[in-house]
Amino acid sequence: MNVWQLLIESFPRIILPGLAMTVPLTIFAFALALVIAVITAVIVYADVPVLAYIARIYIWMIRGTPLLVQLMVGYYGPSAFGIKPNGFVVAVIVFAINEGAYCAETIRGCMEGVSKGQLEAGYCVGLSYPKIMIHVILPQAFRAAFPALFNSMISMVKDTSLASNITVTEMFLATRQIAGRTYQFLPLYLEVAFIYLMFSTILELIQRRGEKRLGRYDRDVAGS
Amino acid sequence: MTETLLEVKNLHKTFDHAEVLKGVSLSVMPGEVVAIVGPSGAGKTTLLRCLNMLERADAGELVFDGEHYDPAGFGRREASKLHKKTGFVFQDYNLFANKTAMENVTLGLTSGRGMNRHKAEEIAAEMLRKVGMEEKSDRFPLHLSGGQQQRVAIARALAADPKIIYFDEPTSALDPELTGEVLEVIRKLKDSGITMMIVTHELSFARDVSTRMIFMEEGSIIEEGNTREFFADPKNERTRAFIGMNVDGTEKEEQ
Ligand SMILES: Nc1ncnc2c1ncn2[C@@H]1O[C@H](COP(=O)(O)OP(=O)(O)OP(=O)(O)O)[C@@H](O)[C@H]1O
Ligand SMILES: [Mg+2]
Repeated sequence: MNVWQLLIESFPRIILPGLAMTVPLTIFAFALALVIAVITAVIVYADVPVLAYIARIYIWMIRGTPLLVQLMVGYYGPSAFGIKPNGFVVAVIVFAINEGAYCAETIRGCMEGVSKGQLEAGYCVGLSYPKIMIHVILPQAFRAAFPALFNSMISMVKDTSLASNITVTEMFLATRQIAGRTYQFLPLYLEVAFIYLMFSTILELIQRRGEKRLGRYDRDVAGS
Repeated sequence: MTETLLEVKNLHKTFDHAEVLKGVSLSVMPGEVVAIVGPSGAGKTTLLRCLNMLERADAGELVFDGEHYDPAGFGRREASKLHKKTGFVFQDYNLFANKTAMENVTLGLTSGRGMNRHKAEEIAAEMLRKVGMEEKSDRFPLHLSGGQQQRVAIARALAADPKIIYFDEPTSALDPELTGEVLEVIRKLKDSGITMMIVTHELSFARDVSTRMIFMEEGSIIEEGNTREFFADPKNERTRAFIGMNVDGTEKEEQ
């Protein structure tokens, strides 16, 4: 079979698992990661007794161990108790927990970057601490963290290929399977690389639009 | 008979071994405009911050609007109770950077006091009008000049109808040509009868706007009194020196 023919025929067989697995995995995991990250960041920022300590241990352990190992532990851990987990569910949870730790640090760093005066002004107009977080500190921190968070997300799209190790048939595993049958390794891996690049490019475009929208209050709009 | 609005006794505060407030006591009656002056490092900002519970004092007593507060050991709830009755204008404005001028004024009303949005916006519009900022109510702080930001900050402090507004050098971060508009706004507030405590380096403004002067140095109140007497006949040698250094003679004699 001609290489070009193979590439064309394999394209849907690679991109379909991409749309069915890689994309939902990224979206679910990242959304969950953001929730974990915000909660963790606020706990550390506010230095909540006990919880802040636990949050720091969580960040320390996640950042200090390989993602692949975390996936394995997440997948084989339940098996030790006789539960056969669903690979996709495990992947979503492990990616969320992993990404959550990194994003927590990103967001917390940006929260620290918001001036103390904003917090004090919040108190002075009669806002409670949680309300100041929600209406003042977090929105500003998010604006500052936005590029870095998107960076993490783009990174994660590619990391999802690791989920193939726990039976999730995402794009990379699909590619490997075709390559194993046809022995056309290089063209197929280049093809999947191209598809990852497409996905990342779409995210970059979304990032650019998002930054424009968020830019309202800290970019100079001449004559506005 | 009017009751004292604010009474503080024996306020002490030490920052890493430096005693910044050495037992400050003062009281304010409703409607008074008290100006606090003194050299840099005298503890004026610290005093204001302790009075509004932005800073924890080491010791002291505070009675505000008939209620006792602990300026040394307060928690968030106690501070929040006080903040519902006071306004504070910062030297560097501290407008919420992610909120428009209008939202800066409404946020405390809606999220802090549970007022409905419509009512809050009505009040905010009126406050912004008072400070001459109604035209720019949908601008973000970054797109306002310092003087405009400070006027919005004053509108924000006014919005919840506080019993007192504290000003910490409201014009000292401003370019000289912008101080006038802010001072003018404060002058107008005086006419509306609101109680104010203003830390300022602008002696002529203090003299013009205040009903009472306080001169602080090295963490203590050196002299205080009725504004006219304070300038006409300062009792303390250091007060005299301070006034002499900061106001020229011609200005000292008028009025
Ligand atoms: N957070 C702080 N930590 C340590 N020292 C502080 C702190 N805040 C103020 N100080 C010190 O306390 C002293 C009084 O400061 P404060 O800001 O109250 O003076 P001030 O009268 O407002 O001066 P200025 O006219 O320059 O504003 C200064 O020596 C200052 O360095
Ligand atoms: Mg000061």
